[in-house]
Amino acid sequence: MVPSRGLPSGSRPTGVSVGPAWSEAPCPILVVDRNGGIVEVNEAARTLLSGTAGGDRPSWHLPDWLADAHRCVTGGPSTTCAPTRSGRIGERMFEAFPTPHPDGDVVWWLIDDTDRRLAEETLRRAQERAAVLAGVSGTLLSSLSVQTCVEAAARLAVHHLADAAVLISPASPAGSDRFPVTFARAGGPVTGTTRTVDPATVPGLAEALQGLPSVPACWIDPGEVPAWVIPQGFEGPVGSVVVTPLPGHGVPDGALILLRSVGRRAFAEDEEAFAGLFAARVGAALSSVRVYGEQSRVTALLMRELLPPALGTVHGVEYAGRFRPFQDSERIGGDFYDVHPGADPAEETLVVLGDVAGKGLDAAVLTGRVRNSLHALRPLAHDHGHVLGLLNTALLTSPHERFVTLALASVLRRRAGRVRLRLTSAGHPPPLVLRADGRVEESGTYGDLLGAMPSVSFRTEELVLAPGETCLLYTDGITEARGGPVGGELYGVERLARDLTGRAGMPAEAVVERVHMLAAQWLGRGRHDDMAVVAIGAPRTGPLAVVDGDGHADRRGGADPHVGEDVRSPNTHWRQKRTRRT
Amino acid sequence: MTDTGKTAADLRDRLWSAVLGGDAYTATDTLYQGLDIGLDTETLLLDVIGAVQEKVGTEWAADRITVAQEHAATAVNERVVTALVPSSPVPADTGWGPSRGRVTVACVEGEWHAFPARLVAEVLALRGWQVDYLGAQTPGPHLITHLRRTGADAVLLSSSLPTRLPTAHAMIAACQAAGVPVMVGGRAFGPDGRYARACGADRWAANAREAATALEGGLTAATPSPGSTTARQPVDDLPHLADQEYTMVVKSRTRLVEETLAGLREEVPALRLYTDVQHERTAEDHAHIVDFLAAALYVDDTALFTGFIGWTADVLEARSVSPRCLVPGLHLLARRLHDFPRATALLHAGAATVAARPGTGPGNTA
Amino acid sequence: MTAPDPEFSLIVTAVADVLRVEIAGDLDQTASEELVRAVAGHLTPGTAFRHLRLDFRQLTWIDSMGLAALLRTRRLTSTAGVRLRLDNRPGFLDRLLALTGTSAHLTASGSTGEEVTGTGTG
Repeated sequence: MVPSRGLPSGSRPTGVSVGPAWSEAPCPILVVDRNGGIVEVNEAARTLLSGTAGGDRPSWHLPDWLADAHRCVTGGPSTTCAPTRSGRIGERMFEAFPTPHPDGDVVWWLIDDTDRRLAEETLRRAQERAAVLAGVSGTLLSSLSVQTCVEAAARLAVHHLADAAVLISPASPAGSDRFPVTFARAGGPVTGTTRTVDPATVPGLAEALQGLPSVPACWIDPGEVPAWVIPQGFEGPVGSVVVTPLPGHGVPDGALILLRSVGRRAFAEDEEAFAGLFAARVGAALSSVRVYGEQSRVTALLMRELLPPALGTVHGVEYAGRFRPFQDSERIGGDFYDVHPGADPAEETLVVLGDVAGKGLDAAVLTGRVRNSLHALRPLAHDHGHVLGLLNTALLTSPHERFVTLALASVLRRRAGRVRLRLTSAGHPPPLVLRADGRVEESGTYGDLLGAMPSVSFRTEELVLAPGETCLLYTDGITEARGGPVGGELYGVERLARDLTGRAGMPAEAVVERVHMLAAQWLGRGRHDDMAVVAIGAPRTGPLAVVDGDGHADRRGGADPHVGEDVRSPNTHWRQKRTRRT
Repeated sequence: MTDTGKTAADLRDRLWSAVLGGDAYTATDTLYQGLDIGLDTETLLLDVIGAVQEKVGTEWAADRITVAQEHAATAVNERVVTALVPSSPVPADTGWGPSRGRVTVACVEGEWHAFPARLVAEVLALRGWQVDYLGAQTPGPHLITHLRRTGADAVLLSSSLPTRLPTAHAMIAACQAAGVPVMVGGRAFGPDGRYARACGADRWAANAREAATALEGGLTAATPSPGSTTARQPVDDLPHLADQEYTMVVKSRTRLVEETLAGLREEVPALRLYTDVQHERTAEDHAHIVDFLAAALYVDDTALFTGFIGWTADVLEARSVSPRCLVPGLHLLARRLHDFPRATALLHAGAATVAARPGTGPGNTA
Repeated sequence: MTAPDPEFSLIVTAVADVLRVEIAGDLDQTASEELVRAVAGHLTPGTAFRHLRLDFRQLTWIDSMGLAALLRTRRLTSTAGVRLRLDNRPGFLDRLLALTGTSAHLTASGSTGEEVTGTGTG
């Protein structure tokens, strides 16, 4: 504080000329001498300074910030110039503008900018909060796992709102008193647990979990917050608390408890409101994530029936299949395949590859019916024509206006690694055979498509695969791929056959990959139909399949040096078995 | 170590002749002998099988093995791996401790060479990770759905062809936006992984061992601040894309190839005597050139393009075709793309690469 | 007639009791729906048309949905007692009909099958 020369009684002669305009000016004006003494004030300044000093005989002082600014202007020794010429007087904020006078006095004009500053501060905070809220949804929805979403919400709450955050998820199972609880605190880890909670014991929690409006923070006594709510490592004690509901899609999606320690400012009203907005975002995101999770679980369950099956070796014959839907975001479509293993090696295995006209889910639903029908008709598979005739009748009487084309193969392993096939095409491209000498043959089967005509007929062809030879069933999506180096050209069966020439001896899996790769490379970025391929391979060497067969169960643990002794023993056991074989 | 190295080299030679003959039985037995003399599975996977598979590629390029042999060898190698490693996930009570975490290994969409990715997956599984191996050609939407369903700690993406880099870039961004850090590997990302950085990957690994080590060190996403979203556009990582050269080349790919072929038919009389199959191969070669040009424009790297041209020249020369046959096509493309400075510079660099080869210098060109 | 595929077009002409539909371009999913709509719109109950001729001279491609449309057209004509003829069939259409065994079904007219036309205008 600068010593004052007391209250000026009114005007006294100074170097500054004073007129009525000066004394009645709306902004406070002070004349200060070179020593910092107040020489003269106008009415506005008198009112301002009297108000701050209080009482009838206020002692007038320059506020520190103005005294600093004054020294700076008068250039007194050992002064450092404060960069700002603004500060608080009483409740208001002022900016000060000096007019130095030759005699050493300085006239200070004080401009009240309290409202502007408030407005700026409010705007800044609003912008900051809008940015926070905009980021919240993005961050929360980037992972569609409920757990990750809850953890991120707790972390964000601590970052933007509080010293600690506790997120109470809806009771699980619903209606019980077991609640998943997630804790986060500044500078600490996010931890989760499930515990028994009596909402009535936490002030405001029962209301929040029912989705009722939050209890104002000032009504909550921090002392009533039970100890379990306070995360470990919280720099206590708790100074203020906000409990806010997480509004979900129509139903509450839990509650968020925000804690600030005694050392920090209590939650102001606008911060509570902001916490509410934040909680609304969190609740919406959590609900979306929950719905997504539930839907994808249901979809996965329903799709399991429609997805193409995993194939492998059955009764000494290799099978491999691969499906690529017309859109890569899909998993199912109008193409399908199945391998129905014979009850024993002496019984034929039935292979089906088919194509329902159309794409996507609609077509996939019909493939499900066709697959089920064929599964039921399996016992009759010794006569392909009979099976296909029955299927045709079934399709004609169904409400669908779609037709189906398919290829059937009945497979039986014979002596010396040879495999006998009976092939029947129902309006489907005839299967190809990759012969051991490198040639690619087209099988001679043909027949009518199913589901469109009252009577249908077929020609079944029988052929034998020698070891290393492969029979390839494919849908027209492969041969009708349009692309090539100059684009727009059909891939075609001739090109497929040419590209497969000399590829005998490849395992079924490799043939299937190869065909898909050829078609994909031909397509480039072009659009395509569903594509499905099944390969039936007569294994080139017998013993490997046997190795596969007995190796799987015992080989876990491998020969890794880091594996403990307990799991090493079965490995040794396996290796003895294998040594016997060799 | 030298013993191991010597043994591994010996096994490699035996495996090499077995896979060339398509003999899966002998091939598998060779690896079992490796186990019997005390080599661990990881060494066998990487230093024997992996090394042989790499040799398959180089020997094919040098025309020392046929395409049929290449396929047979790859197929046999696949089966050998199946026979060598556990078919089910390693149980949690291995020496590595209960849970190392769960990772997904996949190939970039359009990538069909899954073998390197498979070796990585097997090595990680051996080292105690829970690995979901999605195999060749994983469509982006499936990968993201999978990551969300399994809550993977990290994803490893493999790609061998630089032409898949734009797709890889999109997939990397999508994984990161889903909150999963991404490690990439494979020849597509350049010898020193420089394109991995260009595409915003969190990590690059030169090989399976490095990938495993990096994971063990803890792979975290490169986005630290809470509240920031990781969703981004390709041009945010690669500002040069704003010049539209990449976009233009991709959009007019078919036309560029057609016009180049038409130009070649005029300029190179020999072309008129080609068979249909030869025409198709020529068309494919030039489609590849345009694809690699696009990839080089995408990551803005000359070496990507000249490297491809050099490799193609090697392949042609090994088959007694003069690499000079590449030059007219490159010039035609450059003329066609004269408004695009980056593309033109790349094409000229490609032509210079051919010219600088011994025996194909200016003195020898017509 | 507007089609999403600029190459696809249908030209419908009616002369006496003959309804003639010229099909140009790719007969795929969207185009197929248009074809069936156009045919169904003309073959209303009690129609005076006795013949439907589909002219494929300018057909560039047909996929399985296109074939489905032909089969649905066949159902419409037999219900209406109208004879169906497929004129100027390109080779790929004949091959598709042969592969799927639908050639006789589609080119035999009405439900009696007394009139069979071969390739070409017949």
